[in-house]
Amino acid sequence: MAPEGYQRSGLQPYLDSLRQVPNATLLSVLLALLAVALTLLVWKLIQGRKSSQRTVLLVGLCDSGKTLLFVRLLTGTYRNTQTSITDSSAVYRVSNDKGSSVTLVDLPGHESLRLQFLERFKATARAIVFVVDSVAFQREVKDVAEFLYQVLTDCTVLKNTLPLLIACNKQDITMAKSAKLIQQQLEKELNTLRVTRSAAPSTLDGSTSSGTAQLGKKGKEFDFSQLPMKVELVECSARGSKAEEGSADIEDLEKWLARIA
Amino acid sequence: MLDFFTIFSKGGLVLWCFQGVRGPAAACTAPVNALIRSVLLQERGGNNSFNHEALTLKYKLDNQFELVFVVGFQKILTLTYVDKLIDDVHKEFRDKYRNEFQQKGTLGLLNGTFDFKEDFLHLLREAEESSKIRAPTAMKTFEQSVKSQKTVKSMIETRGEKPKEKAKNKKNKGSKKEASGTEAATVPSKAASATKQNPPVATGDREELTKEEILQKNREEFFRKRLKGGEKSNKSPKPETQKEKGKKPRVWELGNSNAKVLDYSSSTTNGNTDTCPTEEYDPYVALGDRDREPGRLYDLEYESDEEEPEEEKVIQNPSQPRAKKGGLGGMFGMLKGLVGSKSLTREDMDSVLEKMKDHLIAKNVAADIAVQLCESVAKKLEGKVMGTFTTVTSTVKQALQESLVQILQPQRRVDMLRDIMDAQRHRRPYVVTFCGVNGVGKSTNLAKISFWLIENGFSVLIAACDTFRAGAVEQLRTHTHRLNALHPPESHGGRTMVQLYEKGYGKDAAGIAMEAILYARNQGFDVVLVDTAGRMQDNAPLMTALAKLIAVNTPDLVLFVGEALVGNEAVDQLVKFNKALADHSMAQTPRLIDGIVLTKFDTIDDKVGAAISMTYITSKPIVFVGTGQTYCDLRSLNAKAVVTALMKA
Repeated sequence: MAPEGYQRSGLQPYLDSLRQVPNATLLSVLLALLAVALTLLVWKLIQGRKSSQRTVLLVGLCDSGKTLLFVRLLTGTYRNTQTSITDSSAVYRVSNDKGSSVTLVDLPGHESLRLQFLERFKATARAIVFVVDSVAFQREVKDVAEFLYQVLTDCTVLKNTLPLLIACNKQDITMAKSAKLIQQQLEKELNTLRVTRSAAPSTLDGSTSSGTAQLGKKGKEFDFSQLPMKVELVECSARGSKAEEGSADIEDLEKWLARIA
Repeated sequence: MLDFFTIFSKGGLVLWCFQGVRGPAAACTAPVNALIRSVLLQERGGNNSFNHEALTLKYKLDNQFELVFVVGFQKILTLTYVDKLIDDVHKEFRDKYRNEFQQKGTLGLLNGTFDFKEDFLHLLREAEESSKIRAPTAMKTFEQSVKSQKTVKSMIETRGEKPKEKAKNKKNKGSKKEASGTEAATVPSKAASATKQNPPVATGDREELTKEEILQKNREEFFRKRLKGGEKSNKSPKPETQKEKGKKPRVWELGNSNAKVLDYSSSTTNGNTDTCPTEEYDPYVALGDRDREPGRLYDLEYESDEEEPEEEKVIQNPSQPRAKKGGLGGMFGMLKGLVGSKSLTREDMDSVLEKMKDHLIAKNVAADIAVQLCESVAKKLEGKVMGTFTTVTSTVKQALQESLVQILQPQRRVDMLRDIMDAQRHRRPYVVTFCGVNGVGKSTNLAKISFWLIENGFSVLIAACDTFRAGAVEQLRTHTHRLNALHPPESHGGRTMVQLYEKGYGKDAAGIAMEAILYARNQGFDVVLVDTAGRMQDNAPLMTALAKLIAVNTPDLVLFVGEALVGNEAVDQLVKFNKALADHSMAQTPRLIDGIVLTKFDTIDDKVGAAISMTYITSKPIVFVGTGQTYCDLRSLNAKAVVTALMKA
């Protein structure tokens, strides 16, 4: 009994003093805190909506012309390029009525880097442009198909059903394959890859290499229309017919970007 | 003299290019691409020069603004000013275009015009001139030389005077030696006293005594030599006088005496049993441990623990003053790092890199490779600006992790089933050869891989080209029986999925392999798995035999089987195997190792460094990982999991 009495007597003066503080100041302090919290929340939401899913990734094999396409889209001029070792990103104003902008990100295509950079940027991706070298396609079809398979079966890509554009680059060279041919070859190759990749031995920690994704419908020949995301093919030429002097032949690409943005 | 000089961003844009001797602009892209692919992307960035065909390329990375500076010149020229030139150009370029880099980012790079030619030519001229400043030293004319000042008289040698000169010279030499001797004696004493501060005084006294003894001995030797010099001068007139008298037969001192005179053994010891004094033989001392059980074989004892504390003491002493100095500086550095943007310097990274190197070595990565990796990471991070709230350790760890993942990513496609399907279409069997040193698990993993192939519907022919090891053929026969029992012909449309092709022991392996491939083609087998004998990489005849097998049969895939337990040996094994294959091949592009099978992975818990060593050396992918001895213990490599295990503390 005695200690309780002491406690009550200890606390009493404090409670009295609190009650004595005018309600106005207390209320205003509480209101200010609420306002700050609300603005923070709203700001975060806006930021989140703005930054997430506003990037378009340029991916593809080494030497397919991604960096030159990047330069052409942004400035329209021609620059010499080397093998990229890291990504480059810039804001691109789309030529449509709304005048919206997307962030173009050019990822390196080298085998040892491509998956790492894809992992890093896929969360904020809105769409993917897969650049294919139409001249070397016949030689590289297996490598192109393997990378495309990895992109298509990536869990984030599937979850967000990112639209995919396969840009058949280097059309200015006479030996370039047409988009239709490339589409047929890729479908055939992906059909075989479905079987071989799912049969590969599982990785050390027990998970299979491609997750649990099954590309397309079982039993039927693989077709790009079977995929949950939209896949289109366009032809383009980053270098253009006159290289440094002329402009690039990338109107189809620009139109697609305008639709996506 | 330079072929070209390019400056480009890490993102791939060429900012500025200078064509020196070469003509077309495209000629500089191919060697630079080769440089990027083989050096920068494979983490061999420790050494800053690279040879490609006839050119030598030297490069420098600017990690702050993400630029690369590359200069190329002919390999046969040795230009001394190149390193300095690159550094100067780097500084100039960075200072001149700092604005574009800092403010505008990528768009700045795209839109900026980098008109650097005059500055570059100016710097080039300066560098060339500085290398020419030191004119070659002119040869001295005859009048200036010492020889012309000697008189002819002084050079005539007469018999009598010559020994005097010799003695004089010896005296001079002797005095010189004494002077140098005393110097030499004082220097080691100083050095000895400096390093041996710590051990107790008793041992110090003993050592000083021995030093004094050494000094005494040296002094005695010098005096003896000087006396000898004098003696020689006395001796030389003697033979002259003797010769004048005429020839006399030479008398050897001990020549005509018989064996008895030459026998110095005391007459008492020979043949007597009690010549060896018994007090000297102490059975306790001779036998060693008194408590020894008769007939028991004891284990090795090691005494390595005694040596370690001394080393630690010696190492700790120099590191203590460093730590004290680093304490205050470290605090300020941390604050600086928290507040503003701090760029990484070599000194900051050194201690962290040392720790990381030791960590990697503790995880069973080969020592040279750990060193090279850390060098390459240091080059990549030098000058980089750290963000706020990131410490040096975390930045370095992050960079190391990225480069490890980069190394483990396969540089070429790893899909055996796809390639087998291709070969099926061409109606020829897909040939895989397994090679490696003794006891790594070739035959076991061959059986596992054939099980996996059968599960996927391909028929396999096993070629037993191990004709040396006892039981090799029987082992494969047992595996064949088991696999056929698991997958009987009835369930695969009547065809036997596995068959063994063997010709017994002692035959030529290359011949058996060739016959096996022919047999497979005739019978319509999809895959041929060739098992070879294990061999040490230093054994030249066996390596030649293996190279011959591979060169003659041109298999589609050459797999090197290595165990995960191997440490620094992995480097040696792979290098020597590749070298042997390259040396003994007749083709333009020799067949080297195409892939690695890493076995016994279940025996290492997280010391997975062998994977890194092997892929770094060959830059070929790890195709399979063996994790046990049953047929299902076959896995593929997951780069991220391995790197996580490697970086775990």
